[in-house]
Amino acid sequence: MIDTHVIRTRDLAKSYGSATAVRDLNLSVGKNRVTAFLGQNGAGKSTTIKMLLGMVRPSGGEALLLGKNIADAKGNCEVRRRVAYVAENKPLYGYMTVEQTVSFASSFYPDWQTDLASHLLNQYKLPSQQKVNTLSKGMRTKLALLLALARRPELLILDEPSEGLDPVGIEQLLSMLVARAADGITIFFSSHQIAEVERIADHVCILDNGRLLVDASLDLLRQSYRRINLSFTSVISERQLRIAGVQKIRTDGRRMSIFASQNADAVIARARDLGVVSVDVARLGLREIFLETVLEN
Amino acid sequence: MLYYKAWLETRSRFLTCLTVLALFSAVFTHHAQGFLHPEWKTDFYRLLFIAHEYVIILWILSVVLLGMGGLVREHATGTSSLSLSLPVSRAHLLGVRIAVGIIEAIALGVLPWATIFLVSYTGGMPILFPQVAFYTALLVGGGMAYFALAILVSSLVEGEYTAPAVAIGLVFLATIAFDAWLRRFNLWRLITGSFSVDRTTYLLAGHFPWLAVLASLCAAALMLLASVRIIQRRDF
Repeated sequence: MIDTHVIRTRDLAKSYGSATAVRDLNLSVGKNRVTAFLGQNGAGKSTTIKMLLGMVRPSGGEALLLGKNIADAKGNCEVRRRVAYVAENKPLYGYMTVEQTVSFASSFYPDWQTDLASHLLNQYKLPSQQKVNTLSKGMRTKLALLLALARRPELLILDEPSEGLDPVGIEQLLSMLVARAADGITIFFSSHQIAEVERIADHVCILDNGRLLVDASLDLLRQSYRRINLSFTSVISERQLRIAGVQKIRTDGRRMSIFASQNADAVIARARDLGVVSVDVARLGLREIFLETVLEN
Repeated sequence: MLYYKAWLETRSRFLTCLTVLALFSAVFTHHAQGFLHPEWKTDFYRLLFIAHEYVIILWILSVVLLGMGGLVREHATGTSSLSLSLPVSRAHLLGVRIAVGIIEAIALGVLPWATIFLVSYTGGMPILFPQVAFYTALLVGGGMAYFALAILVSSLVEGEYTAPAVAIGLVFLATIAFDAWLRRFNLWRLITGSFSVDRTTYLLAGHFPWLAVLASLCAAALMLLASVRIIQRRDF
C-alpha cells in the first residue's frame, strides 16, 4: 500500500530534564499538501521539526519521514537529500559569499535547478559577491529560501519562513510557495502569521505545550467550528450544554457563549430544549479558532 | 564542498599561524647565526633545541585554534541546523573537519623546520637534514594528540573563548601532571626531543621513538573517536 503521508509520528516525545517540549505527538502530514504548524513560542514546533530531521533525539515514540524511521541515522541522512529545511533563524555561513553559498549547497543535490537558482538570485536581487554576514536579515531569508527551493525537494519544511521579510518579500514568498505546491512539492511550515496560513495552507495542525490540539483541513475547520451565542430566560447550568464538540462555555448571567469544534446543530437543539430565546451562530476564522483552542488548553 | 567549507572556516587562523611560525623560525635562526661562530656547532644545535621548544608552544596554540569550531560552535552561533540538514552524516561532517585540520597541522609542523633548514643553509651554517626530519616527525607524530584534544574539547564546549581556554588549560595540566608523576610518559618531553637529545652535542640521537609516537597517535585516535561519538549523540 502506498503511504500518502510524508510525515507520520506516533507518540513522539521529547523532554529536556523535567521539562517536556513535545508529548505523545501523533501527527500525519499528507503528500502534496500545504500543512501549517501553528503554535505559540515554545509550543514544541521547532523541536518536532528538529526531531524529524535527526537534529534532536526523541525521548519516546517514533516517526517516519518520507517513509524512513527517523531513529535510523543512515536512512535519515538519505531522506535529507529529498527534504529542504529552512530553520527559523535562517542559518547561513557568514564567511561565504552568496555565490559560494549557492555553489556549496548545489553540490549536495543532484536535482539542483540552476535556472531556478539564477532566477531567484535576480528576483531577490541578491549580490553574488557579497559576504553573507553583511546581508540584511531580509536578504538572508531570501537566500535561505533560494537554497531550499532550488534543490527540488519532495518535502519543504519551513520554520517561520516569512520572518524578516518585508511585505513585498512576503508576497513573493507566498506566491512562490503556492507555485511550488502546484508543482507537487509538499510543504510543511510553522508560522505565527495566521493570515499567511489561511492564505496558503490546506491543512492545519495546532500545537500547544507540546500537545497536538488540532489536526484538520482548513476547510473542515471552517465548516465545523462555530461560536454560538445563546440567551435564556433564566440562568442555565453549563453542564447541561456540555456535549461532544463543545470546547468552551462562557456564561454571563442568562447569556452564554459557546465555542464548539463540531456538533453546532446538536448544541442549538439542546439549547432549544432548554428554552433558549435567542440564538446567534457565527462561523469562526482561523485566528479565533487558534486563540480559543490555545487559551482553552 | 565540505572540504572547501572546512578550509574557508580555518583559512584565516591557519594562514596567521603559518606566518607566525615561519617568521619566528626564520628570525630565531637568523639571529642565532648572527652571534655564533661557524665552528660553534654545539651551541647552534643547542639553540635549535631551544627553538624547537618555542616552535612546539606556538604549534600547540595553533592546532588548538585550528581544532576549534565545528557543530557545537555552529550550534552556539545558530548555523548548525544548516550543516545538519545537509544529506551527510555527523561523522562525515566531523571527519572532514578533522582531515582538513590534520593536513593543516602537518603543514604547520613541517614549515618551521623547513624554514630553519633554509635559513641556516643560506646563512652558511647548514644543519643536518636527518635532524630536521627527526624534530619534524616528533612534533607532528607525537603532537597530533594535542590537535585531537582540541577537537574533543570543541565537541563538548561551545563557548568561543571557553573552548580554547579549556583545551590550553588541559595541555598545561597534563604536562605538569605527567612531569610530576609519570615523566617517562610525558608527551611534552617526547616531542621536544628531551628523551632523544645527546646533551653534549645537542643532536637528536639514537632510534626514532616509534613506539612512543605510535602510542601518542593511538591516544589521538581514541580522542577523535570519542569526539565522533559525542557529536553523534548530541542534540542540536
